[in-house]
Amino acid sequence: MFSSTQFDVTSAFSGGGFMPSQSTQLTDSAPSPAKSRDSQGLVPATVKQISQASHSGDEKSSFVIDGVDVTNVTVVGMVFDKAEKVTDVGFIVDDGTGRIGCRRWVNENFDTTEMQNIQDGMYVRINGHLRSFHGVRQLLAFSVRPVTNFDEVTFHFIDCIHTHLQNSKLQLQGGASIQSHMVESSVNTPVRSGSNGNQTSTSIQLSKQYSVDGLKDCDQLVLEYLQQSSSMGQEKGTHIDELCQQLRLPMEKIKGSIRSLEDEGLIYSTIDEFHYKAT
Amino acid sequence: MDTSKPAIFVNGGLLPMHVRKRVRTVVQVIGSDRGAVIGKSTDDQQLSVKGTPPSVPLTNFVEVIGIADSEKSIQAEIWTNFGDTFDTYSYNQLCQLANGECQLLFL
Repeated sequence: MFSSTQFDVTSAFSGGGFMPSQSTQLTDSAPSPAKSRDSQGLVPATVKQISQASHSGDEKSSFVIDGVDVTNVTVVGMVFDKAEKVTDVGFIVDDGTGRIGCRRWVNENFDTTEMQNIQDGMYVRINGHLRSFHGVRQLLAFSVRPVTNFDEVTFHFIDCIHTHLQNSKLQLQGGASIQSHMVESSVNTPVRSGSNGNQTSTSIQLSKQYSVDGLKDCDQLVLEYLQQSSSMGQEKGTHIDELCQQLRLPMEKIKGSIRSLEDEGLIYSTIDEFHYKAT
Repeated sequence: MDTSKPAIFVNGGLLPMHVRKRVRTVVQVIGSDRGAVIGKSTDDQQLSVKGTPPSVPLTNFVEVIGIADSEKSIQAEIWTNFGDTFDTYSYNQLCQLANGECQLLFL
């Protein structure tokens, strides 16, 4: 299998499902916060989140949670109704937010041995592929490991919350109040934008924003406000004074964001150079 | 899939908000009283856990899942030994988050 002359890493490991998906990378030539982002490797999720996930576009094979394409998830919960068959082991996992059916194909000794150690009533960490079968969501598990240190249970749910907050677009309203409840201060640091640490801002909401697709936080706020106004049917657009007032940002910042968003083609001026709409 | 019977993360302070509902919590076992296990919640309140504990001895920390039958007690259906050490501070914070801004992920 491993020839000394050629070793193709992609084909050697692609069956295991552990490599992040390379073939479906989307290049962000035109940043658009409305579209789903690239598939993430292994997304922590609660069964409740899985039940609420929508299907990704026309493909029934992947799901969307908080605007992000999700195919592989990690779940921590208790095993019930384990049923061993010749080719696979089926069981239910209950994580306290809901119950979902799981299946583990047992092709090799490793799989069989791993599943033999799993008993009903045990807490496990399951890494698996989320799919829909005859309209019923289930997990095709490729790893089922008993939990031995129960801080892992606490960690998993905090991880779900952390990932949710990173991915969702609700930070604008919830940002100020969520911060006071954060478990660790490190969770507050914005992940994507490198410039945020030095950004001086007059608004509390701005200081802990997560930026999306390379847009600076201020641009993101302006864009979202304009998108909201457009969806409410404001034909002549929004005056920049209103942006300044509502977002509580200095006028120079608003004007700077307007310029960048206009350059990107995400907004356009309407009746005069003070009124703008989102495209 | 079934999300009809969730168990809400609670500590001592949150338990009164969920009386007659299905809850889950981790307590530190401090004793027993008339057949019920007395535990200290992750926010240092005393709770009473009724029901049938498992046949194996309880460890220092135990997770119980069951129905809250009063502001200070739970009728436990499932008991899980969580070991002799446990990060109660993080679990307590999780309870607050799960009942606050992020409850949509859980309920």
